[in-house]
Amino acid sequence: MSMLEVRDLDVYHGKFQALSGVELDVERGQIVSLLGANGAGKSTLLKTISGVLKPASGTIYFDEKRIDGLGPHNIVDLGMGLVPEGRKIFSALTVRQNLLIGSYTPRARKTRNETLENVFHLFPLLEKRSRQKGTDLSGGEQQMLSIGRALMSQPRFIIFDEISLGLSPLVVKELYKTIKRINQDGMTEVLVEQDVKRSLKVADFAYILQEGRITLKGNPRDFTEEAVKKAYFGV
Amino acid sequence: MIQFLEPIINGILLGGLYAVVGIGLSVIFGIMRQVNLAHGELMILASYFSLLTLQLLGLHPLLTFLLVLPAMFIFGYLIQTFLFNRVMGKGMEPFLMISFGLSIILQNALLLIFTPDARSLKSSLVIQSLNVYGLFHVPLIYIVNCAVSILVIGLLHQFMKRTYLGWAISASAEDLSAAKLMGINPKRVYALAMGIAAVTAAISGVLVGMTFTFYPHSGTQYLIIAFGVVIIGGLGSLPGTFVGGLILGISQLVGGRIIGPGFQLLSGYIILLVVLTIRPQGILGRG
Repeated sequence: MSMLEVRDLDVYHGKFQALSGVELDVERGQIVSLLGANGAGKSTLLKTISGVLKPASGTIYFDEKRIDGLGPHNIVDLGMGLVPEGRKIFSALTVRQNLLIGSYTPRARKTRNETLENVFHLFPLLEKRSRQKGTDLSGGEQQMLSIGRALMSQPRFIIFDEISLGLSPLVVKELYKTIKRINQDGMTEVLVEQDVKRSLKVADFAYILQEGRITLKGNPRDFTEEAVKKAYFGV
Repeated sequence: MIQFLEPIINGILLGGLYAVVGIGLSVIFGIMRQVNLAHGELMILASYFSLLTLQLLGLHPLLTFLLVLPAMFIFGYLIQTFLFNRVMGKGMEPFLMISFGLSIILQNALLLIFTPDARSLKSSLVIQSLNVYGLFHVPLIYIVNCAVSILVIGLLHQFMKRTYLGWAISASAEDLSAAKLMGINPKRVYALAMGIAAVTAAISGVLVGMTFTFYPHSGTQYLIIAFGVVIIGGLGSLPGTFVGGLILGISQLVGGRIIGPGFQLLSGYIILLVVLTIRPQGILGRG
């Protein structure tokens, strides 16, 4: 069984069907890209996988454990981390406290000091600014903080939701280097992105969503530009 | 001028007590964006519990804290877990209704068990006073109230700044969905927060029971004071609650000295209206 297995997923927003029959697999150690235009259902799919939304039908298995219907806090405890869209850094907490609260679950809290050391090693800038208010950082720095915070929960699997939004290309390039590095250290990752080119370059496998359905899936190296356009927009 | 020294000093001390009265309400609004209409009854419940402990065990009222505080924490935790958690996320009305119902139940239960007789937690602190340079008197109990108040607010502030649970509460208050992604279980955090609010209500309830007489229905007047404190100082702000308490205490006593002793409450509420007009979010409020 794949590390993450989504089968036959139907999700509704009220009467509107946001996802229809979505099927998705993520193998251990892969980087999988999830792409699609705005409103295609990427966000909905992520929210359903992470437990914020409940599917009307279908199943989601993570490490052979069924997780559809569980709450987000349970799913985090099982080893799935999420770097949310818009960073969502807590302004009430300092950089250091934002990181530490990522280790809230008992399992992560036990080794929090060691994990914090590793995160500071990965992002030395965060250590420099550790006493500043979380939201006093620039956009790119907050994104690093958000990734660091997700790492603090000791995940085996991380979902990165639109991390390039609002950031300069140079900053995004650095972030992607880090994403690759974390993956090389053994992390399984799902990237949800608007930046199609960069995302496809780094992914082992990709899915394209359109109007709630998967319209293209496979190894990005096999994708033609026409196929991607068609899967994205339907033209 | 010197004639105002007494009401100002005593107003500050009284204000300290008012601050503790208001904290429970402020905390619950800050975290859950809800107003607990049973807050006054939680205070008075603690006053009566203290009375019981005092009568059965012969303890000094301040020592009853040892039994009353843990009991009230558990009570707060339970009412959040079994009553309020059912309606979290469904807007303000259900919470208001449940808390209102709870206040009625508690008031009448206390009435049934303890009768409408006036009660107080007797100690010598109420009678003794400090003679300040021969100019005026400060009742010792006022000093105790203010000291306990500063201690409680200080401890709470440190708790919010330095502990995992404190951070979890701040994070949940700011962005609940992001907090859930940290592995924070909202229902548990809310229950713990309500437990803390109940403990602060209990502390103020015992202090109030030592300072003034109380009845089963006294909860309402303290709920109104709590509202006043929190509105003046700003919803969801701990230092704001302290400032609000001081201002209300001073306004009451100074106003009572200027206009007349029967106008204490009115003076306080005039200041409340003034603050609402000039700065509706409260002096240190974050809207």
